[in-house]
Amino acid sequence: MIVGDVVASVHRGERTAEAVCLEMLAGIEARDGSLHSFLHVAKDAALEQARSVDEKRKSGRPLGSLAGVPIAIKDAICTRGIPTTAGSKILSGWVPPYDAGVVERLKAADAVLIGKTNMDEFAMGSSNENSAYGPARNPWDTTRTPGGSSGGSAAAVAARLAPCALGSDTGGSIRQPAALTGTVGIKPTYGRVSRYGLIAFASSLDQVGPFATDVRGAARVLSVIAGHDARDATSLDAPVPDLVAACDRDVKGLRIGVPDEYFAEGLDPEVGASVRAAIGGLEKRGCIVKPVKLPHTRYAVATYYVLATAEASSNLARFDGVRYGLRVDPRRDLRAMYGATRDAGFGPEVKRRILLGTFVLSSGYYDAYYLRAQKVRTLVRRDFEAALREVDVLCSPVSPTPAFRLGERVDDPLAMYLSDVYTLPASLAGVPAMSVPCTPTKSGLPVGLQIVARPLDEATMLAVATACEQLYPAALAPS
Amino acid sequence: MSGPRVDRSLVQHVAKLSSLSISDAEADKLATELAKIVQYVAQLEELDVSGVPPTAHVQMDRMPLRADEPRPCLSHEEALAGAPRVENDGFAVTSFVEEK
Repeated sequence: MIVGDVVASVHRGERTAEAVCLEMLAGIEARDGSLHSFLHVAKDAALEQARSVDEKRKSGRPLGSLAGVPIAIKDAICTRGIPTTAGSKILSGWVPPYDAGVVERLKAADAVLIGKTNMDEFAMGSSNENSAYGPARNPWDTTRTPGGSSGGSAAAVAARLAPCALGSDTGGSIRQPAALTGTVGIKPTYGRVSRYGLIAFASSLDQVGPFATDVRGAARVLSVIAGHDARDATSLDAPVPDLVAACDRDVKGLRIGVPDEYFAEGLDPEVGASVRAAIGGLEKRGCIVKPVKLPHTRYAVATYYVLATAEASSNLARFDGVRYGLRVDPRRDLRAMYGATRDAGFGPEVKRRILLGTFVLSSGYYDAYYLRAQKVRTLVRRDFEAALREVDVLCSPVSPTPAFRLGERVDDPLAMYLSDVYTLPASLAGVPAMSVPCTPTKSGLPVGLQIVARPLDEATMLAVATACEQLYPAALAPS
Repeated sequence: MSGPRVDRSLVQHVAKLSSLSISDAEADKLATELAKIVQYVAQLEELDVSGVPPTAHVQMDRMPLRADEPRPCLSHEEALAGAPRVENDGFAVTSFVEEK
C-alpha cells in the first residue's frame, strides 16, 4: 500500500477511508507485537476520522491531498486528545491539549492518524533502545535495531503497518532509521516545517519530516506539512513548490558531489559499495559526478554533542513536575521535588545529555566548549555552502553500517554517537537531506543513500531520489 | 588545554545546576562516561576559530517577530488538565516559603 494509491482509490470511491483504516489497524494488531513500533494505537480516533473523510466524499465536498491515508506519528509530536510521551516516563499518560502545527495540516488534508510511534526518549538516541517503553525492532531482522530516534516510525512503514509516518530529525533521527529499514525518510531544510507542538530536543536543529514506502509518498506528505507557521519563530515564509511534480524532473546534467570524507575509515565495505553503485547508476542517467571536500566533517560529532546537549539541557528544564507529567514529591521543599521528579522520570541517556549540556554552558566552560562549538558550526556550514556552489546535490552513505544488533552499542555512549557521523553535518548546516534505499547487503539488510541539497531545494533532492528509486525498483518490504 | 577533571564532585555540581538528584554511585558511573565524551569533544581545540563568528541558529538573520496581538489560547481548564496537583484553580506545589 503506497500513499498515492490510497489517495487515488479513496478519491475514486473504490475504497473507503474506513476500509483502509481497518486494514491498517488489523495489520498492527497482528504484527506489531514483535516489532513494538507503536506506543499507542489511536483506534477509535482513527476510525472516526476515516469515517468523516468518507462522509465528506459522500456529501460531494472536495477531499484533501492525503484523503484516507493512514499515517503514524512519532510520539514527540503533540496530538490533541491522544497520549504523547516522547518515549519518556516523565510524560507517561500525558494527553496534549492541542495539536502540533504539522498535525493540524495533516488533518486538514484528510489524513488519518493511526497512532503514536516508539522513539528514543526525547529523541536522544540512534537505536531506539533509549525508549522508556522498550525498543522498537527492525522488521528485516527483529534482533536488530530499526535505528533511532524515529525508529518506531521507520519500523512501522518498513513493515507496511502504515504507508507513511512523521518523524523528527535533530542529528539524523529520520535519515538513519530510514536507511536501516529500507524506507524513504526526509529531513527538510531547517525552518521548512513548523516545530510548533514538537516536543523540543535541540531547537536550532530539530525538524519534522516524513517517512514513506516510496519517494513520491514522502514528497506528498512533505508538501502538506511544509510552509510557514507564525507560531514557530524559525519557520520560513517561503513558497513551497509542487514537490510531487518535482519527483518527475529529469536529472540529466545535474551535478552530484561525492565527499571523500564520507567514505572514510569505519565505513562498512558493503555499505560503501552499495552507495557507490547507486551513484554510478545516477551517472548512467546523465548526472555529472565529481568529488567535493567537506573538510570539517570529522569535527561534526563533537560540535553536535556540545550544541545539542546544551540546547537540550535548557529545553528539558520545563519537565519539573509542576504543570504536566510525572511528579515525585518527597514533601521537603520545591527543589527536592524537582530533583526527585527528574531523577525518576528521565532515563540514563537523557540524564547524561542534560549533565553534559549543563556542563558546557556552565560558568568557566562556556567559551571553551559551547562558544567554540558554535564557531565550528559556522565552519561546517561554510563547507556545505562551498560544496553546493560547485554541485547541485551531495550523495553519500547515511549510516556507516547496516542495522546493528540490539544491545551491541548500549554500553558505549560515545560509540553510539559516532554512528551518526554522516548525518550530523547536514543538520548543523540546516540543509535538506534524505535517505533513499539502494542495494541491500548480501545478508539482506537495507542500505540508504543520503542526498543533500541546497537550502529550500527539496525539489532537486526528490528528483535525484526518484531516479535512484527507479534504479532499485524491487519494492523493498521484509517478508 | 588539559580539560577539567570530570569526577564525582563535578558531576554532583552540574547535577545540582540541572535539578537532578543523583546518588554518588550514579555520579561515579556518569563521571567515567562523561570524562570520555569531554575528552573526545576536546578535539575542537585543534581548530583555529579566531575571527569565525558563532552560529547560534541557521535562520538567525531572518527570524521575524509576529505582531503583538492577543489571540485565543488554551483555556484555564485545559491548561490545568495535565497538572499532577491542582488547588484553588492553580498548579499546586509543596510549600517553599517557610512559615514562622
